Amino acid sequence: MTTTALHTAPTKTPTTAVTRSDGFNVVGSDTSLGYNLPQRMGRKLWLPMFAMALMGWTAGFTLAIIEAGTDRAEVNDLQTLGHLVPGFMFVGFLGVFAAITFAVARILGEFRTGGGEVQATAGGQVQTLKMPATAKAMLGFMIMGMMVMAAGVATNFVAAGAFDGTNPADLIDSAQAGAAASGLRRLGVVTYLTGIAFGLATIIDVLRFQATRIREVAASHGHTH
Amino acid sequence: MAAITQLAARPPSGADPNARSRYRTVGLGLALVGMMGAVVSVIGNFAAAGNIDATDSYRETLAWTFGLSIFSFGVVKLAIAVILMGIVVRLWFRVDAIKGSLATLHGHGGTRAATGTLKTDWGAATVTDAPPKLLPIHRLARLMWRPMLAMGAIGLTTGLISSWVWADKTPGTESFRQAAAFTQGVEFLGEALLLSGIAFLLGTILAGLREGGGEVQSSLGLPVTTLKMPATAKAFVGLMMMGMMAGIAQFVLYLVQIGNADDPASFAAWGNWLGPFRELALGLILAGVVLALVAIANVLAFQFDRIKSIVRTGA
Repeated sequence: MTTTALHTAPTKTPTTAVTRSDGFNVVGSDTSLGYNLPQRMGRKLWLPMFAMALMGWTAGFTLAIIEAGTDRAEVNDLQTLGHLVPGFMFVGFLGVFAAITFAVARILGEFRTGGGEVQATAGGQVQTLKMPATAKAMLGFMIMGMMVMAAGVATNFVAAGAFDGTNPADLIDSAQAGAAASGLRRLGVVTYLTGIAFGLATIIDVLRFQATRIREVAASHGHTH
Repeated sequence: MAAITQLAARPPSGADPNARSRYRTVGLGLALVGMMGAVVSVIGNFAAAGNIDATDSYRETLAWTFGLSIFSFGVVKLAIAVILMGIVVRLWFRVDAIKGSLATLHGHGGTRAATGTLKTDWGAATVTDAPPKLLPIHRLARLMWRPMLAMGAIGLTTGLISSWVWADKTPGTESFRQAAAFTQGVEFLGEALLLSGIAFLLGTILAGLREGGGEVQSSLGLPVTTLKMPATAKAFVGLMMMGMMAGIAQFVLYLVQIGNADDPASFAAWGNWLGPFRELALGLILAGVVLALVAIANVLAFQFDRIKSIVRTGA
């Protein structure tokens, strides 16, 4: 293994480049690198997103019950509620998928921090996986999923506000907005889900590296008594 | 059958711990396939939105896009399940690696904890002489994830086929409404079962962490310190069970709605709340999944601290 100084900023743990023959892309340091930015965000934001999900579903389902009890002749109310209900329900899904992504990031943070601390405690050089492509993909998919789903929800809310029932063409506009919003929301869901799959795949990579690394540390710093 | 029971099983001794995970490769491939299916359905939705007129024919398009998109979500969820199986396998490699390494890395001179209960930064823990047994929910999780995933896949496939039947009916007719109700009910039943399978796989991961942690400590001759079931894990079980029951209930209610298909107004009123209800069912399971992941993070933090303690003091 060869090392060269890469980064010595006073606010961050200095790291060195490490070349491994087994394909793992890592950096070396004397101490654990701790949580990175997405992992710190994951630790702080999973709960607010979880709360947002519960609030969105509560509002959406309450409005759905009101819609079910609305007179079928009240076209204006039915059209408005018909957009507000999926809008609020998917505010909930936006929150819960974000919470899941943040929770996966939190798990990755525990591996990064804990794995580093164990190596440092054993006296070995701390090696930490650089952020794998799958983790970057998770973040990218999450951001895209959030934006697309938010666009779908916004389309519903705009359509709910725009319908006044005075013009027959409004019904067609409302149906068009509904179909487009539904497509956007579903695209948001699948993008989020794919991001979560990539995040979980990163955990497999981290587990594979850490199982290898702990054996190396034991081989170089272990004792026989 | 033997191959199915071997899924996510503990790897045999002598298995190469450095080998790349096939679960990861298959899972990511499946996720991308599912995403492509959903993209096709979204294009269909936009096409339908652009062709809305008084004939209602766009509803036929929305019928198959519904079926395809929900089926595609299921494919990505199946992909997530496959990746979780890979994590279960990798956790056993981790146990073997830590067990072998701590045999030579452990420190000396520490005072061993007395058996009983103690408080840690991650919650209350028990100290026992032998590894604790799995909790009933862990055993249930190990037993149930396979049938849940299988039944979920059957429900989704049935729903996809039903959506083609739905798209073939004339909009506004009773048979159109009947096919709509059945498709929505059966597809969301499939989704709920798939998500329950994922939740049970997360429970299986928690079981592996508990069992593996005990195995490592006892192999070193140490008292076994194990976190008690955290509140997040208890809430996870409650939410998952509620969501699964709601997922089954929504299917039954859709069957009831089919009985009202001859009355468009009544049918529409049922649909107004059944749609959000079926989504709420999935939401409850997903909320449980969040808490399961948080519980896993908590257990991992505790286990890393325990490993450090053993390396530092041998206790």
